[in-house]
Amino acid sequence: MTTPDVTRGRAPAPEPTPVRRRRSPAAWVRRGGLSALVFALPLLLVFGVFSWLPIGRAVLMSFQETNLITTTWVGLDNFRAVFADPLLPQALRNTAWFAVLALLFGYPVPLVAAVLMSDVRRLKGLFSALAYLPVVVPPVVAVLLWKFFYDPRPEGVFNSILGWLGAGPFPWLQDQTWAMPSLVLEATWAAAGGTVIIYLAALTSVPAELYDAAEVDGASIWRKIWHVTLPHLRGVLLITLILQVIGTAQVFLEPYLFTGGGPANATLTILLLIYRYAFGQSLGADYGQATALSLLLAVLLAVASLAYFRLTRRWSTS
Amino acid sequence: MTTTAAGSHAAAHAAAHGAATGAAGGNLGRGEGVQSRALAGRPAHEGPGSSSGRGSRRRRRARDAEADRGILSEADWRRPLVRRGMSTVHLVMLVLLVIWGIGPIVLLAKFAVTPTQDILRTPLAVFPNGIAWGNLAEAWNDVRVSHYFLNTVWVAAGSWVSQVVVAATGGYVLSVLRPRYAKALQWAVLATLFVPAVVLLVPLYLTILDPPVGSSMLNTFWAVWLPAGASAFNVVLVQRFFDSLPREVFEAARVDGAGPFRLFWSIVLPMSKPILGVVSVFAVIASWKDFLWPLLVLPNPDLQPLSVRLPSLQGSTDMGVLMAALAISTIIPVLVFLVFQRLFLRGAGLGGAVKG
Amino acid sequence: MRSTRCAAMTLTSVLALGALTACAGTDGDDAAPAGDSEATTTLRVVSLIPGSEQEAFDAFDERVAQFEDLNPDIDIEAVEYEWRATTFAAQLAGGTLPDVYEIPLTDAKTLIENGQLADVDEQFQALEYADDFNETLLDAGKGEDGKVYAIPAKSIYGVALHYNRAMFEQAGLDPDQPPTTWDEVRDAAKAIKDATGQAGFATMAANNTGGWQLAAATYSRGGRVQEAGDDGTYTATLDNDGTREALQFLHDLRWEDDSVLADTTLDWSTINQAFAGGQTAMYTSGSDVLTSLIETNGLDSADYGLTAIPVDGDDAGVLVGGTLAAVNVKADDAVKDAAVRWIDFFYLSKLLDEEQAVADAEVRADNGQAVGTPVLPIFSREQYELSLEWVADYINVPLEQMVGYTDVMFDQPVVGEPSRSTQETYGALDTVVQAVLTDDNADIDALLETANTQVQALLDEG
Repeated sequence: MTTPDVTRGRAPAPEPTPVRRRRSPAAWVRRGGLSALVFALPLLLVFGVFSWLPIGRAVLMSFQETNLITTTWVGLDNFRAVFADPLLPQALRNTAWFAVLALLFGYPVPLVAAVLMSDVRRLKGLFSALAYLPVVVPPVVAVLLWKFFYDPRPEGVFNSILGWLGAGPFPWLQDQTWAMPSLVLEATWAAAGGTVIIYLAALTSVPAELYDAAEVDGASIWRKIWHVTLPHLRGVLLITLILQVIGTAQVFLEPYLFTGGGPANATLTILLLIYRYAFGQSLGADYGQATALSLLLAVLLAVASLAYFRLTRRWSTS
Repeated sequence: MTTTAAGSHAAAHAAAHGAATGAAGGNLGRGEGVQSRALAGRPAHEGPGSSSGRGSRRRRRARDAEADRGILSEADWRRPLVRRGMSTVHLVMLVLLVIWGIGPIVLLAKFAVTPTQDILRTPLAVFPNGIAWGNLAEAWNDVRVSHYFLNTVWVAAGSWVSQVVVAATGGYVLSVLRPRYAKALQWAVLATLFVPAVVLLVPLYLTILDPPVGSSMLNTFWAVWLPAGASAFNVVLVQRFFDSLPREVFEAARVDGAGPFRLFWSIVLPMSKPILGVVSVFAVIASWKDFLWPLLVLPNPDLQPLSVRLPSLQGSTDMGVLMAALAISTIIPVLVFLVFQRLFLRGAGLGGAVKG
Repeated sequence: MRSTRCAAMTLTSVLALGALTACAGTDGDDAAPAGDSEATTTLRVVSLIPGSEQEAFDAFDERVAQFEDLNPDIDIEAVEYEWRATTFAAQLAGGTLPDVYEIPLTDAKTLIENGQLADVDEQFQALEYADDFNETLLDAGKGEDGKVYAIPAKSIYGVALHYNRAMFEQAGLDPDQPPTTWDEVRDAAKAIKDATGQAGFATMAANNTGGWQLAAATYSRGGRVQEAGDDGTYTATLDNDGTREALQFLHDLRWEDDSVLADTTLDWSTINQAFAGGQTAMYTSGSDVLTSLIETNGLDSADYGLTAIPVDGDDAGVLVGGTLAAVNVKADDAVKDAAVRWIDFFYLSKLLDEEQAVADAEVRADNGQAVGTPVLPIFSREQYELSLEWVADYINVPLEQMVGYTDVMFDQPVVGEPSRSTQETYGALDTVVQAVLTDDNADIDALLETANTQVQALLDEG
């Protein structure tokens, strides 16, 4: 009957009262030590083998060179090789550019949509479902379909539509400047619905009293949005922002399937570069260099996460 | 592997937050919401998209109580300028949303039954040379979409089992049983939240090639299933939920002589259906979207899920047939979505923040 | 609340059911291929490109059945396969390659040095025709110890120009008089674009194939992309006049005539698909590509035309390359024996033995697969022509539409691929091709200089 929601868990639960007096194995079993271990086993095994072990291995491997048969310690050579790679600055720039574009496309639009949709009085479900539908399309299908939409010929799908409006044809993926925005446009299409739904959920949590109070003070619609709605969404907005940055820093699917990093490395992202180091060379993988680069990216993201925690603390106390 | 680990901690916040906001319940009247919260703190599940009959009832009540409101007040709505303005805005939005949400899917459906030459030369003309139903048959029989779809389902199902088992038992240990090493274990799990998935890519691949026990897991579903279980986000989510369960129930059960297994099976599991539902939605969606990992560990075409198989067919499959294959791969999740719409939208409000 | 919970549980239990069947379904497949008896060897071989036509798989299966009849102690398991520069390393490292697989001629030396190919010298020397191979080809698969690690197989090709005769006719061009110079190629491309609206020419540009075809275009203009010194050093010469001209040619087709297919993601298989779909009238690729166009893309050869790649200037030549069959380094002696027997049966005997040649041709012709596609000889020209005579009754490719190539194929000067850091060279050139096709103002000299520096650094590493 009672299924409290997750938020209640923030209150520290009362300590159970295990009796810890004797240390004999039999007592340990009697106290439930063995059964606790049995329950911990799946977690220990799965995390041990597929998380803790590989993380440790990643750190080691970044200082090694290995072809899986022989392994030698090479000190910082892998990091030096990564920094010496002329593609690294480009990959960094591209990844940052992807993140910026993803924010430009994917941040304000869902917010505006959600704010407007929150006041829809009829067919709200239809609105939400329509917005969410692209999220359900398998990502690979979406990319392959959009790749065809982006046909640069005048008779391509998007160019035909633009042609009716008297614009284009655009080169889309076949241009070093346009390729990245094209990728982001598709990524936004595929993901924005989820963000809209999150904002919608957050919007319904704005206490009605706040609006009522604002109205008593004679606030206009815009002032209500600015002074009541947006401040209330601050937390969610910040979280989606950080998540988006961290997610886009590891973008792979779109550049891999749309362009393979091209044209002329215009969409080469860091993860694609890591993939190339490790798996994309026909005659030998450079696992050391790949892990070195991924550790560097991890440090970068850790800094971003830290910044996020500092920010949230400041925001939540302000 | 799929959740971006460093973000997951933030995601846990987001999910918790979303759960709170979701609890306020989409369109519920305020009175009802307060009532239900007063009753049990139980999340109200009247998501968007409930049946129209109930909707009208709710609207009526909302108007009576003047409780169901957004940014605009009833007074705002009564101003003709606002009403007309908002109606126009909403109509425009609906049109845009139809283009946005259905447009590409309708085009895909059309391409699926259009002859290749028409797709390539006049993609937007309406069947100038008839309909090519044969595309669908060829995609189903020759491309074997059904086979790869089944692989997709198996990959998702196994990942789901592995995530639910690890999260439920792990959360139980950390929250309820609390052995002495629980704190250390919890930190070890939490720490992995801060390691982005990309760090694991190569070493995890090598672990799959040469696991500590047994032989290479490459080209087996285990290579996808087991790493999926190592999701700290799930464990944290379930643990927090268990923390919130009333201790008295456990104590009462213990007094009644229930051992840890009974307690887990008969008390904790039945009570944790909602959170396991959330974990399940995340698990299935994440697995559905995963591409890079199955690409690496399932090189055998017979085992590949659709996401990996479809791109490799680009160069060998006629455009019409490829489009038919894409359409078939889309129709099933879309149908599942339409049927379980409320579940999805609620789950998305909660966990859409977890980037797949 | 209740209804959604139930829904969730229904969904999940459906999935759980799937999981159970999944477990049941895969266990069998994963079981180690333990033979029925001690004498049976299971041999995993590569079949066709993923997504090939059903008829092509039928033909392949028939040949497998014939092989198993002849070799009852060998059990063939076939897996789809396409060699790609960008996926091969993972397959190699992952140990997921089958027992017998195909590699490009140029890659064998490095793989042998790295100890990644099985030594099949003993089995190879036992073949009665071991001494009849074209020496240069055989050398490509030999290690520094003089042993054979990879065997010339499948096909040796010269790069040639493939064209769509129907599109030539639509543009008022004579399909029996295909272009013989690059200027004529450009004119024809423009005419086709103007008449049909479709691209007249296309080039590969991705997954190292862009560099491969740029190297071919370079050779055909008298340039080279790599020079071997007498002292065992290699010099990258990517910034030569031939490459510059080839890039300028692409630039002009793209930006002045707009007659080239604007797609920088085309690689070996996707350009075949584009050609089969009528999206381009001409492209260059190996002379044997018709086989795959029929096998994989279901091309109707009635409109297919093949002619020689234009050869202009001193030192100009045709890029030749080919495929070697290699055996997994993990293979034991029994598997190696079986592997070489398969290589003998599937790839080579049809070139040397009339009975096998006819058997192969019959199966292929029955299933609508190409018989008689022109390739360069693995053994000798005489042997090649003899083998064609054996199967004369089955030849179903339109030879009269290929005379532009077949008349000169043995007289063209041939040039091998760059022998060191081949794939890296091609990869660097990919970027240049993509840049030229996507930027009107691309600085060809600067691009080539950058690429050259990059490749030279790799060559210096050794």
